[in-house]
Amino acid sequence: MPETGIGVAVPRKEAADKVTGGARYTDDHISPGVLTARTVTSTCAHGTIVSLDVSAARELPGVRAVLTGGDTDVLTGSVIEDRPPLARDKVRYYGEPVALVVADSDAVAARAVTLVQAAYAPLPVVNSPLEAVAPGAALVHEALGSYKKPVEDVYPEPGTNICDREKIRKGDIQKGFAESNVILRAAFDLPQTDHVAMETRAAQARIAADGSVYIHAATQGPFEVKKALSKLFALDEGKVIVQVPLVGGAFGGKAGTELEILAYLASKAVGGRPVRIRNDREADMTSSPCGIGLHAEMRLGAMYDGTIKAAEMTFLVETGAYTDTGPRMTKAIAADCTGPYNIENLSVDSLCVYTNHPYVTSLRGFGHTAMTFCMERMLDKLAAKLRFDPAKLREKNALKPGQTSPGQVKLTESSLGNLPACIEKVKYLIGWSNGIRTVSGGKIIAKGLCCFWKTSTSPPDAVSGALVSFNEDGTVNLNVGCVEIGPAMKTTAAQILSAALKMDVGRIHVNMDVDTRYSPRHWKTVASMTAFMVGRAVLSAAEDVKRQLVGLGAAVMKCAPEDLEVGDGRVYRKSDPAVHHVFKDLVHGYQFENGNAVGGQLFGRGSYVMGDLNYLDRETGKGKSGPYWTVGAQAVEVAYDEREYTYRLLRAATVIDAGKILNPAMAAAVVRGGMCMGLGKASREHFQYGPDGRVLDTSLRTYKVMHFAETPRYLVDFVETPNLDGPYGARGLGEHGVIGMPAALANALSLASGAELDELPLLPEKIWLKKTGGII
Amino acid sequence: MIPFDFEYYRPDTLGEAVGLFGRLEDEGKNPVWYGGGSELISMARAGNAAFGAVLDIKDVPELLGLGTDGENLTFGAALTLSDLIVSGSFPLLGKTAGRIADHTMQNKITLGGNLASTIIYRETALPLLLADAILTAAGKDGLHTYPIDAVFDGRLRLPKGEVLVRTAVPAAIAAAPYFHQKKTKNEKIDYPLLTTAAVVTGGRLRIAFSGLAPYPFRDRSAEEILNDGRLGADARAELFVKALSGVIQSDLSGSADYRKFVLKDTILNILEAVREEKLPCLC
Repeated sequence: MPETGIGVAVPRKEAADKVTGGARYTDDHISPGVLTARTVTSTCAHGTIVSLDVSAARELPGVRAVLTGGDTDVLTGSVIEDRPPLARDKVRYYGEPVALVVADSDAVAARAVTLVQAAYAPLPVVNSPLEAVAPGAALVHEALGSYKKPVEDVYPEPGTNICDREKIRKGDIQKGFAESNVILRAAFDLPQTDHVAMETRAAQARIAADGSVYIHAATQGPFEVKKALSKLFALDEGKVIVQVPLVGGAFGGKAGTELEILAYLASKAVGGRPVRIRNDREADMTSSPCGIGLHAEMRLGAMYDGTIKAAEMTFLVETGAYTDTGPRMTKAIAADCTGPYNIENLSVDSLCVYTNHPYVTSLRGFGHTAMTFCMERMLDKLAAKLRFDPAKLREKNALKPGQTSPGQVKLTESSLGNLPACIEKVKYLIGWSNGIRTVSGGKIIAKGLCCFWKTSTSPPDAVSGALVSFNEDGTVNLNVGCVEIGPAMKTTAAQILSAALKMDVGRIHVNMDVDTRYSPRHWKTVASMTAFMVGRAVLSAAEDVKRQLVGLGAAVMKCAPEDLEVGDGRVYRKSDPAVHHVFKDLVHGYQFENGNAVGGQLFGRGSYVMGDLNYLDRETGKGKSGPYWTVGAQAVEVAYDEREYTYRLLRAATVIDAGKILNPAMAAAVVRGGMCMGLGKASREHFQYGPDGRVLDTSLRTYKVMHFAETPRYLVDFVETPNLDGPYGARGLGEHGVIGMPAALANALSLASGAELDELPLLPEKIWLKKTGGII
Repeated sequence: MIPFDFEYYRPDTLGEAVGLFGRLEDEGKNPVWYGGGSELISMARAGNAAFGAVLDIKDVPELLGLGTDGENLTFGAALTLSDLIVSGSFPLLGKTAGRIADHTMQNKITLGGNLASTIIYRETALPLLLADAILTAAGKDGLHTYPIDAVFDGRLRLPKGEVLVRTAVPAAIAAAPYFHQKKTKNEKIDYPLLTTAAVVTGGRLRIAFSGLAPYPFRDRSAEEILNDGRLGADARAELFVKALSGVIQSDLSGSADYRKFVLKDTILNILEAVREEKLPCLC
């Protein structure tokens, strides 16, 4: 059945391939003669490499090369160049690659790995964010002061473990606290967690005889990979070709450049032969980057009437052994630190700190999940102290158009959306007015609520593009540079084009893969910005197509272009739609009855650049980091067992101001997925470390993610306050389901148990400890 | 991917299996018995298991029996956990099996494989320990029977070369009032923080645990405390926890102190259920 445009539940275009198992991912592509690379990883969290003997591995038949840190002198990092692809001189986390084996087969590579002998002299470990800033802490990076910084706005403090400090200074903090009737303090601890995408990270590389480097990778940023490799290894950008098929989940974990570098080094070491490398689950968890940990301390001042007057916050964002995007999340936390609340007096220091734990990269929410946890716990504490209804306190302090963000950006209805409407709806969904703490069947039924907001931390020059071409039957080919990582981005792009051209989305074909040679550049498929950025580029391409079509149509139909309209695969007279030409007759040139042809092949092109963003001021944080916010409210209902300190998740609700829903089924699905992930982070996920900094949860045997059967009932709804800059008014919608789940669950369980639960994950043992002090 | 070569055999009969195992051992092939494979495959992939030959015995008919033998119920060693769940003849064994791993794995994991596992929990041992099960194993010289206590000391320790064929459980105990509770860190499908299995037979409570110590066990002398009618429930629970405190472990699932709390709470639950005749009780 033909379906046109947006607001319709169009099935994803790759659905049939995915449900039949036919979809192909990076490591499913095996080329003849491909070699396999595997890493040898550190078993020590911080230590000097005393010896690294690879001779036995090299001698194993079938081994083609063994590389170590000495074989390459590059340092990588998109913000601070601090990470050697293979450790040199010392190791900084358990799981860090120290050697790379390239062999004829995976089996030989795996055997060779066991033959590499490494010895480390342990160094004192930095085992938590607080230890990182303690006086006399061991240094994870002695050379921090000499590292290159590809960006201007990062502020490392050499001689410490602080690799970035972001500040917000707004209003008069002394005055704000002086005017407050109540002042609350609390500290929060959140562990590092993993992405656990179904497809583990994978990359392949080959170097052609002409020097062209072909990278085939599971990445969210093919154009960033191209740029990074070109820069690191002084290659012509045009000779680095990055190809990305469907990606099996990413959650931010595939936004950096990591295995691509190892694949390139491996291929180079074997004369350019194709080499594949794929993480097994254990390597994906400990060797590749995970998500941030956080220690935060907050002081909040408020009036008896609930008005929040002042907030002082310190965030220690744990980036692990290397920076990657850690400083960017540190910045995002600072820029959005208040949540969607008006706090006029602010003093915030957000520090990015090194530890001897696996390094981090973006993870769904980009720091907002952690920041929101702290702020939303503070709000519930304040509500309890003031005997306020937690929802009402949030409504009272909700930011309104005309007020400003922590970065002093003036907010509009379009840029902010409508939080009070979200709160109202979520209260209805979860049955807030029926009581938030009741007893039923011997269990305490409690509800917790929270709000969130999120904007992107994109560079001002983040771009996207769209190219449109036509088949001879008049159907459309859409080529966009975003990667299909799961949430049906490509289908959404086709829907937007379908709406703009007013034609059946089934007649629009969209590229599922990305090839940096042929696809228009898209910054990265991250930050919930894809529908917004790609959508804008697609709209611009659609305008280009329409302009050309009515131009040609006008010549053919002997009328003015403004008399014509495009729709349903036709160009027609506005005054009489029966007078028309179908695309088929126009898009590859129009042929007159006498045989003459005009027009030629028609292409549409469109692009978008983020544009009016800027760097945050170093001292005050003043500045605009993202184009608009997405706000929302979430709630969780639990059944809590007072005797056992255990709980069950009953229902979870989310209402988001999405601006405009482009695909209702996909929108609800992506929010539910986020909620599931958020509840997993809230209730069970954490990396645990030994006293020596070693990762103890190295597999899914002990690192637990949400099990499908344990998911609560999900309730999802939307508010639609148009974002005037967005395609058809849409706001970004991708990560958001995850953001408030830990806060909402902690609020529900704190209310149920009467204990202040300020740490994640929310394990029964932690509640027991908090309630009893551990006395049996 | 398993990064080393090994030989694969699938004997048709028990005799063939035992003979083959002996021969492979003599040849220095370091053979292992293969049931569901869930542990061998995942351990070998991660470099935590090595073997030169596997003997796949999951289709050997003698290992698949599920029936009665006089007063006893018998369970073949190659029955899967799902088979045990579906059979229903020993409800406590079925319940215990039903809380090991997830449904997909329950279709793979075998009774014998679980008892002989290198992973420390071996929860199917609990009902067998409570029932004083008789284990039948096959060796080169034929079948041998052992009381479970003689060959299960935290894990299955059959003489080298012998393979578990079946286990026999008195029907009366299989039908006795029972209690089963699995507590995890928080995720339902997880290793046990504490799995407790208990039966009441002849007016006495028998109890066994997995997750409490780094091996499953039944402590008969500690059981005496629970059956001491002179003491109140609280006193029994406290003394019981104290008696076992030396073996209680701390690991990634939880601290020893928390396990003590959960254990005490569990004991109180059981004693209450026994007193009020509320068994079977599945918590």
